[in-house]
Amino acid sequence: MIVAERKPLAEILGNVRGVGRVLLVGCNTCVAICLAGGEKEVAVTAAQLRLALRSEGLEGCITEGCVERQCEEEFNEELGDAIATHDVVLSMACGVGVQTLAEQFPDAIVYPALNTTFMGRPEERGIWSERCLGCGNCVLDKFGGVCPITRCSKNLLNGPCGGSANGRCEVDPENIPCAWQLVYDRLERIGQLGRLMEVEPPKDWSTSRHGGPRKIVREDMVL
Amino acid sequence: MTQGDATQGVATQGVAKSGSRLERILDSGAFAVTAELGPPKGTDLEVVRAKMGLLRGVCDAVNITDNQTAIVRLSSVAASALLCQDGLEPVMQMTCRDRNRLAIQADVFGAVALGVRNLLCLTGDHQCFGNHPAAKNVYDLDSVQLIRMVRRLRDERVTEGGEEVEGEVPMFIGGAANPFGDPFEMRVIRLAKKVAAGVDFIQTQCIFDMPRFREWMHRVVDLGLHEKVHILAGVMPLKSAGAARYINNNVAGISVPDAVIKRMSGAGRGQKARDEGMRMCAEMIQEVREIEGVHGAHIMAVEWEEAIRPITEMAGVLPRPAVAN
Amino acid sequence: MVASDRMVVLGCDHSAGAALDELAAQGRALPAGVEWVRLPCGGGLDELHILRAFESGAGRVMVLACNDSACRSVQGNRWAEKRVQTARRLLEEAGVPGWRLEFKAVSPTQAMELLPWIEGFAAFEPAAEETSQEGTP
Repeated sequence: MIVAERKPLAEILGNVRGVGRVLLVGCNTCVAICLAGGEKEVAVTAAQLRLALRSEGLEGCITEGCVERQCEEEFNEELGDAIATHDVVLSMACGVGVQTLAEQFPDAIVYPALNTTFMGRPEERGIWSERCLGCGNCVLDKFGGVCPITRCSKNLLNGPCGGSANGRCEVDPENIPCAWQLVYDRLERIGQLGRLMEVEPPKDWSTSRHGGPRKIVREDMVL
Repeated sequence: MTQGDATQGVATQGVAKSGSRLERILDSGAFAVTAELGPPKGTDLEVVRAKMGLLRGVCDAVNITDNQTAIVRLSSVAASALLCQDGLEPVMQMTCRDRNRLAIQADVFGAVALGVRNLLCLTGDHQCFGNHPAAKNVYDLDSVQLIRMVRRLRDERVTEGGEEVEGEVPMFIGGAANPFGDPFEMRVIRLAKKVAAGVDFIQTQCIFDMPRFREWMHRVVDLGLHEKVHILAGVMPLKSAGAARYINNNVAGISVPDAVIKRMSGAGRGQKARDEGMRMCAEMIQEVREIEGVHGAHIMAVEWEEAIRPITEMAGVLPRPAVAN
Repeated sequence: MVASDRMVVLGCDHSAGAALDELAAQGRALPAGVEWVRLPCGGGLDELHILRAFESGAGRVMVLACNDSACRSVQGNRWAEKRVQTARRLLEEAGVPGWRLEFKAVSPTQAMELLPWIEGFAAFEPAAEETSQEGTP
């Protein structure tokens, strides 16, 4: 899933201070699951914005809304009237949702309320971590299901660097395990340690974002 | 174990890979000595010249660091070229952090054209440790891929993109090894992969825990890797007990045994401590020289180039041997 | 911002509720401007309840939950405390000083201490340096 977190309120306030009518719209899919932009978070952010504007002696009107999934136009259609009667749309969806709203309602001013961070999984309640950065050519079969491109801070493909200590990554030992420790342990467990001796050639990064923004067209599905 | 890459054995049948002094010393079976020089955080060449003066005649080649610890310094290509101009032999360090495969190949061509003949291929410290933590990193390649790429430039005259290289690329290819930091099982695998990729020489992370180093060398010899690559043992003179404790606690991958810290504490302060540190370093050089598979020592006297001469004198490795062309 | 005199007490029914019922039985009233809201359990507290209380014009909010190991939902009181810590951060972000939100663990038999606590919090004013942080644009 896409993981995001709410921007600091001060930053959001910078975009809505003195604006007039603000439509705050959440999304009930990824950002609701990572407790950043769902209906509840919309309510909390709206309450905070009202309190903040009041404490500054400013007028402000915050309308709350939420759609099922902001990256799909059909779910956003119901917002049309509200968007037309508000001065600014503050989206609590991920960056995809923000841009979808902006593309779908090109006359609207759409601002993000979240910082979209990564594709990851919940590890336990309240903790999410990155797992995939969309390189476009999945090699998880070679590394026992652990992605060194995403989980190794240097995206190394032939083993750990000299900074791996006690199974932790020196970039942030508290939060980042050494991906190569994980790869080693997993390959050992499934009896595929031999894979570690294969010299992995330089990656073709052209399938990743390095090759430019990507697009997939399924001719069989396009009418 | 490899993907069909030919590995060059240490015995080169008389055909030099680069003709560098370091290569010739190692091939002759003599014990090699390398040192290190950190370029200035700017353009002050006098700093470089002063350090060069301290290193002349006391080692076979001098490592020139490449934005070490992700701190911006005068480039290793430029500093290496400066050494060549002045008759000193550099080991140009190159990391994968700041350059993609295009820039690396271009810099290798440039370095060779300017006289550089030794290249140390490194992954490179993450930029979070340095003075530009907001930078993008590159890591287009890792150190194993870098070794392989340079070897193919040299032996097959082909670039990573598959085109023929215009001219020769006589480069003696080095890599790093850390007998201490990794998961133990992976340490020797990493070395074996670098050998498979074609590395000619290895400089290890600095050794304070001699028993563990011996253990690692044992495994290296067991696997016959010592016959495929020249290993230079890394040593570092300690300036004080405080320095020893700092390194032990703060530098990932290096542990300093209590016995070493105790010895430094007992030595006193200031120059007395530094003398003890140099003495200990010289002793370590003598000790590693006796270990099977060790073909040289790499002395890392960080910002303490003055220490190299006394250390090499005490270790009995001076004068440096003359080598035939 | 002119701080209102109104205070909302969000209290767990099992502890605070029992204590407040006892006070009522003794004929002792809560101070004027104090309104109290029953929660079935501290575990049902959400930051939103607290933020809405301030939005609706309260100047102070006090949250009362059971003592540790006395919570019938086992961790409800701890949950409540965590929500209060979070709400304090959200309030500070929104320009409302955190001292305006108070949390106390209370047992059903502490009716006698409860009234002074509430009265004390209602009357509390921080030292001068603290007030200067209050809602100045």
